[in-house]
Amino acid sequence: MTANTAERRRIHKLQVARRLVQILVVVYIIAVPAVARYVNYLSARELDKNIEKWDGELQGDALVGLDRVFRAMPDGEIERMDQLVRNRGQVLDYAQEVRGGMWSAEIGELSITDPLAAAESVAASGTAEKVLLISLIFPLIVTLLLGRVFCSWICPVNLLLEFTDKLRKVLRFLELKPRDIRFSRWIKHTLLATGLVLAAFLAMPVLGYVYPPAIVGRELHDLVFGLFDSAEIGEYGFNINGLTWLSLVLVVIMAVEITVSRRWWCRYICPGGALYSLLGAARLVRVRRKKEGCTRCGTCITSCTMGLSPMTDKMGIECDNCGVCISHCSGGVLGYSSCMGRGKEKTPDLAGEAVDEAGGES
Amino acid sequence: MTRQEDRTRRVGRRSFFSLSGGAVTRTAVLGGLLAGFLGLRRSRSMPAGARGGLGMVRPPGSRDEKEFLSLCIRCTRCADSCEVLCIELFGPEAGSLQGTPFLIPGERGCNLCLRCGETCPTGAINPLVEKEEAKMGVAVVDVRLCVSHNGTGICGACHTICPLRNRAITQNFRNAPVIHDEKCTGCGLCEETCIVRDRRAIRVATDRLWPSAKKESSS
Repeated sequence: MTANTAERRRIHKLQVARRLVQILVVVYIIAVPAVARYVNYLSARELDKNIEKWDGELQGDALVGLDRVFRAMPDGEIERMDQLVRNRGQVLDYAQEVRGGMWSAEIGELSITDPLAAAESVAASGTAEKVLLISLIFPLIVTLLLGRVFCSWICPVNLLLEFTDKLRKVLRFLELKPRDIRFSRWIKHTLLATGLVLAAFLAMPVLGYVYPPAIVGRELHDLVFGLFDSAEIGEYGFNINGLTWLSLVLVVIMAVEITVSRRWWCRYICPGGALYSLLGAARLVRVRRKKEGCTRCGTCITSCTMGLSPMTDKMGIECDNCGVCISHCSGGVLGYSSCMGRGKEKTPDLAGEAVDEAGGES
Repeated sequence: MTRQEDRTRRVGRRSFFSLSGGAVTRTAVLGGLLAGFLGLRRSRSMPAGARGGLGMVRPPGSRDEKEFLSLCIRCTRCADSCEVLCIELFGPEAGSLQGTPFLIPGERGCNLCLRCGETCPTGAINPLVEKEEAKMGVAVVDVRLCVSHNGTGICGACHTICPLRNRAITQNFRNAPVIHDEKCTGCGLCEETCIVRDRRAIRVATDRLWPSAKKESSS
């Protein structure tokens, strides 16, 4: 009993952490170009200050807002809280070490490239550069061990679509029953193969134009750059000049998501998800079910964001290890297990506790 | 499957969405494909980054155009890393070149910090060690426009700002600039600083011609 609740609390904490990471990723995508422009603006104005062309007043919502954040940090020499609180200059120095968005990012010395981007680049050019292979190490290791966790933890579109999933519930409450058409899961694998062949044929990457995380990354980047660009010519308010038609792809995905088919993009279409699920086919950490104790209530099936069926152990390569089914399981029979520790079960206490609590999250 | 049918029957007339579901899917898929096709098609009008017949300027260390386009994954890392933010990214009007980096030296030249090559994840931009290795293009002086050349003044701004002063640009009498093609990196600082404002007297020329410009020049 106690072990079960402790386990449940741990899984719940994991869900909170997952949501936080997803939000942090969005903040990251916006912050990187904003800081780059802010630093540039400051250094350019330093020159102006020297020749007395600038009175020191910032203009523009984006700039003033960013400046407020950075000025709130203590400037100059600091002794208290030794390394934790950095002064503004140091923070900006560190911030400049972070580059890129969803497609490829560099955080300090760590270079990360989306395997889909790398696959396309290799297919299109026919060569694999050393830098590219090095930047693949980290995502590949994570995917091989933990499976499709990019989808559940990092992908900003997943965050968006989990939100639209909630909207479907609202629609259902309003008696406007949205449809849930099911397609074949192999569509996305076909699309991935087609995209790679097309990339090789055209000698340029093509999947980046339909892959929503890449679109979100690029659009937010353009939005921030557009804001600063228009501030330079005197339009200081918020505007969306930087956005392009690619944003419409996201709107279409969301519209279909809400009305026609639940989580259709991630389940059936996403080429990135296809690649990640193939890479994570032999993952070590999996969601496992204890046969004894399972009440076959079906909560895990309705809660699963990928539309899988943990109750009947039909998970396959699609599972993104998000853990939603585990936190929803009323019997507490679902849990993570690693293939390496199959001999000694990682969560031995889960089995005995059958239908003990009424308070399983519906 | 039975569950599906059951649900459809139960919903009945009440649901607008369930009735139009199939049509919405088809329209969305077709619309998406059409938008994609139109977007990827190369646009006829040239964006500012195409620079007419002068050719596009790519970041220092960029491979030759064909190789560059196949390697570049349009990830924005070079634009984020740029010290002076001279690297811009093509918008949707560039068609298949969307998201690739370019410079407009007339607005902001490259200071050859070489961070873009350092950060490029695919090697589309080679990491360089020395400024001298960069070869983004070659500066060309229009002797009719240059005030030092045509005798209307004495300037020397391009010589002063050149990172390879006295190697890439040397001076004739009246400070008239002379470009040494084999040394010039094509960074474009001279174009940025040129005092002839409407049409710069010194401009960077490259062999990366905009696709439609290439067709015109060949025909």
